[in-house]
Amino acid sequence: MEIKLLTEHYQDDQYRTLPGYKAKGGYETLSKAFKMKPEEIVNEVKASGLRGRGGAGFPTGMKWSFLPNNGETRYLLCNADEGEPCTFKDRMMMERAPHQLIEGMIISAFAINSPKSYIYIRGEYVYAAKVVKKAIDEAYEAGFLGKNIMGTGFTHDMDIYLGAGAYICGEETGMISSLEGLKGQPKLKPPFPAVQGYLKKPTIVNNVETLAAVKYIIRDGAAAYKKYGSEKSPGTKLFSVAGDVNKPGNYELPLGYKMIDLINNECGGMKNGKKLKAVIPGGTSAPILNAAEVEKATLDYECLAQMGTMLGSGSIVIMDETRCMVDMLKVISHFYHHESCGQCTPCREGTGWLSKLVNGIFEGKAQLKDIDLLCEVANKMKGKTICALSDAAALPVLGIVPKFRDEFEFYIREGYSKIKGKSHGQMHH
Amino acid sequence: MVKCTINGQPVEVPPGTSIIEAFKMVEQDIAHYCWHPGLSVAGVCRLCMVEIQGNPRLQIACNTAVLEGMVISNQSELVKDAVKWGLDFHLINHPLDCPICDQAGECGLQDQYMKFGRYDSEMGQEKVKKNKVVDLGEKIVLDSERCILCSRCVRFTEEVSKTNELGIFNRGDHSEIGTFDGRPLNNPYAVNTVDICPVGALTSKDFRFRQRVWFLSDKPSICTGCSTGCSVDVYHNKEGLWRVKPRHSEVNGYWMCDHGREIYKSTNVTVTEFVGERDHKKALKKQNRLIEAKFVSKGQSDYRPTVEMLQELKAKIDKTKKLALVLTGQYTVEEYDTLLTYWVSHFCKDSIYHWQNHPEKADEFDGLLIRGDKNPNTQGLKKVLLKHNVTAKKEFSDFSSFDYVIVASPENQWVYDDIHQKALSFNKAQNVVWLSAGLLPEVENMGHNSYFIPVKTFAEKSGTFINFEGREQRFEKVDLFVEQALSLSEMARILDGQPVHLDSVNEVARVQNEFVHLRGQL
Amino acid sequence: MSIIRVQPPKISRVWYLPGILSGMLFTFKVMLKNLFNKKKMATLNYPEEKYEYSPRFKGNHVLTVKADGEIRCTACMLCATACPADCITIVASEDEDPTVEKYPINYEIDMLRCVFCGYCEEACPVDAIRMGPEWQTPGVNGDNFVYDIKQLAYRPNLNSGQGIPSVVDDKERHQLGI
Repeated sequence: MEIKLLTEHYQDDQYRTLPGYKAKGGYETLSKAFKMKPEEIVNEVKASGLRGRGGAGFPTGMKWSFLPNNGETRYLLCNADEGEPCTFKDRMMMERAPHQLIEGMIISAFAINSPKSYIYIRGEYVYAAKVVKKAIDEAYEAGFLGKNIMGTGFTHDMDIYLGAGAYICGEETGMISSLEGLKGQPKLKPPFPAVQGYLKKPTIVNNVETLAAVKYIIRDGAAAYKKYGSEKSPGTKLFSVAGDVNKPGNYELPLGYKMIDLINNECGGMKNGKKLKAVIPGGTSAPILNAAEVEKATLDYECLAQMGTMLGSGSIVIMDETRCMVDMLKVISHFYHHESCGQCTPCREGTGWLSKLVNGIFEGKAQLKDIDLLCEVANKMKGKTICALSDAAALPVLGIVPKFRDEFEFYIREGYSKIKGKSHGQMHH
Repeated sequence: MVKCTINGQPVEVPPGTSIIEAFKMVEQDIAHYCWHPGLSVAGVCRLCMVEIQGNPRLQIACNTAVLEGMVISNQSELVKDAVKWGLDFHLINHPLDCPICDQAGECGLQDQYMKFGRYDSEMGQEKVKKNKVVDLGEKIVLDSERCILCSRCVRFTEEVSKTNELGIFNRGDHSEIGTFDGRPLNNPYAVNTVDICPVGALTSKDFRFRQRVWFLSDKPSICTGCSTGCSVDVYHNKEGLWRVKPRHSEVNGYWMCDHGREIYKSTNVTVTEFVGERDHKKALKKQNRLIEAKFVSKGQSDYRPTVEMLQELKAKIDKTKKLALVLTGQYTVEEYDTLLTYWVSHFCKDSIYHWQNHPEKADEFDGLLIRGDKNPNTQGLKKVLLKHNVTAKKEFSDFSSFDYVIVASPENQWVYDDIHQKALSFNKAQNVVWLSAGLLPEVENMGHNSYFIPVKTFAEKSGTFINFEGREQRFEKVDLFVEQALSLSEMARILDGQPVHLDSVNEVARVQNEFVHLRGQL
Repeated sequence: MSIIRVQPPKISRVWYLPGILSGMLFTFKVMLKNLFNKKKMATLNYPEEKYEYSPRFKGNHVLTVKADGEIRCTACMLCATACPADCITIVASEDEDPTVEKYPINYEIDMLRCVFCGYCEEACPVDAIRMGPEWQTPGVNGDNFVYDIKQLAYRPNLNSGQGIPSVVDDKERHQLGI
């Protein structure tokens, strides 16, 4: 069953304005937070077990505690560059409840003592950027941002920054490069951003959902937040469901929820009564699950990791029996080929190679041994690069190809898709 | 000091040393492209993978610092496989044009493939096409297809020359090196990017297509371009010198300036020029060196072997004659010493002059390597003069009362732009003896009584230069290219009547069989 | 010092009579065979008669050209590197066409130094140098034996590829799967 915490007032059109937000108890948590000590907030977040909602699932409180105490200016960056295909949870948050994000960010900034924060919004999210910008202006006017917020002596400035459409700028160091005005390329780690990030100063980068969740942790306390979800993955999480179900959309669920229940109950079952074929559980970079695995899967970090895939950003792509996996892989590998920044060699060359191999199957140029080569190339790209884009390109291959090998073999042998049959062009051959 | 183990060998390194530096210290092989000791760490080639005990993932050696007790290895199958695939990723879109690539023979990809690769490529797809033969400025040509995007050149222009001309454009496998808005790469250190390019993507226009590198041998030497005295490697074959590259040393680090790369030209007997269009292009050889001693007077030239000419001079100059010796800072300490020993014991001390071009610019410095004093051994000359208690005159008085003026003219003539004007003042003397490596056509045409005696260039002799900071740098002879050329020491000994052993040109080159060539005419 | 006394050889050994006679016998036998069976004769009446060599004969070098008549050689100097007799001299230059990039403005082979080993042919990555069927190439002067680029690629004997195959077209090669 859905738990409406972050999404509680999504339906309320006024919630995105300051009066509407205040009417629903907005910025009350902020005054509560200002009464606490920054360390208490950090400890509360730590106690809540909140894990980064951007994809990697790194414990947020722990990330905050990596900041060095050297008196340097600290920056808080909100990662709203939601580039993972089929993910749209942050967009909804920014469009429907921008103040919720801003309040969470002010609390977080207070906790880590940061005077300046940026919201790095994906270039295509023009509307979301407009809404957030307006909300920031409102917050400034109401004195929630700027100098001496609510008379506490705490000063904080916030601004938005629009990306230019690169997927890689969703990676935290890539985003920092982009913010600095450089080419959006991930930076070498170490040093980690918490030590040397934006403008070589200590920087914390958190996802939109993570920062919004901080507000609820402070409002209700860590213990209340921990009631939801499982032991190791506490709290609720937004899932953006796309694909062949009756009701795709954003769902807020406690972690540990059964995937099959989500499909059958919340999403209203499969579209047109077709059979479930496969699910990509965490954005296209997560390895695919077939129907049998979906039955067993629960939506939390641990279970999915155990099944060789990941929760990622929480975008769930549901495919029915009419979907051709060769098609699917072609689209995915084309995407990563297009988005590789070109810095590390295995990714720059590997993503292109994968894409060419899959295209070769379509063009009828492939041989059966190319399937093994596809897996081998993907295998060797994994874990070799600065950021995780190389892995993101390799994992779907390693998920899809072994699980649906028959489809690939059929395509190579016969020259057309096993699922979709001959296309118009292929009829003539 | 931090203790660690590299491939089973215990090593102690200073704290903060990266693993790859530690590998270099113990001379263990490690594959790498993007890492360069003189540049920052980019960590993009992903080849310097090592296995660290206790770490499940392979780490790159260039961005990982050695910690106490680390057990590091790059010999395991896991690492070898990672390096093999790393190489394959570099090579799948790299064109196989090694036969016409100037880098072939000293190419990082070739070397590392032979060392760490040796597999059959499985890439059966079409390679990515990029721009070829891109003109980056006066000195450099870029071939984007060969580029492996190690970003060394970009980091060089950012960090060393600080001119920021280069950048990487586009992304993914369409990334290309380029210059901003067509701004050329013309900074005075630009050719260093060619040296650090591990593949044939950046090639120097001066050396491009002139020679295959495997026909050349290299020898260490010292740059004569200015008083910095960079350590260099000189690449030569029997025909002459072909290029100069920097050699790592405390003086110059890993770099040298582009002016210094021109110094090889003063040694070559001929200079080849290409004239004409494609089908009628010809390589014309122009003489560049003085190859015989000659006496020029009123348009008449009298050729004589150098030793004979010197013995003739020996008979002519004695204490009764009024003599002057003009020295420039382009000869070695040993030469000055022998010459001055001879001169001081035979002639008057105040007849010695020090000719320096633009002495007012001598202290200029661009902050990296280039200095205003364009002589490699001004300090050496000063030191030797001091040793012999000689105060060299810097003011050039009227030479009309002199019988003989002996001029040790500069080897790199192009930095002495006052050579013509000075020749006019020397010519007021009865006779001028020009000791010169290069030709002096302007001076020859003046129709004055002049002796032209060929001297050896820096590549043809061993000796010592003392650079601006007083550092004595010894260098060895590379090869002799002009048989008639002598060093100042040898000349001084001949003038002094001492026995001299002269070396001859090592002619291993093919000799035309004269008999065969005459047969038809007999 | 000691003296070894050597017995003088027998008269029959000194005159070598049996040897001479058996030799004469063989000579006459062959002469008579040749007189009556001319076809089986082992020698030729050169220059009226000429021996037909196999098509793989390694004679004088030919620089092959492309279909449009331009020289195929890219001046990579691998032939000069492989040459054991050091008889190949190449001067390379830059072509304005970026797809060609490098080409030879001079290519000299000193035929009198050449040992006709065929390594140049083997080394060539672009099939630009071949060893043709010519072997009777007299010259009056020693200089006539230093073949320059014009002679190697366009000498009259080649007859623009009609006489001796010297035109190598890339398209054809691709079709043949080379």
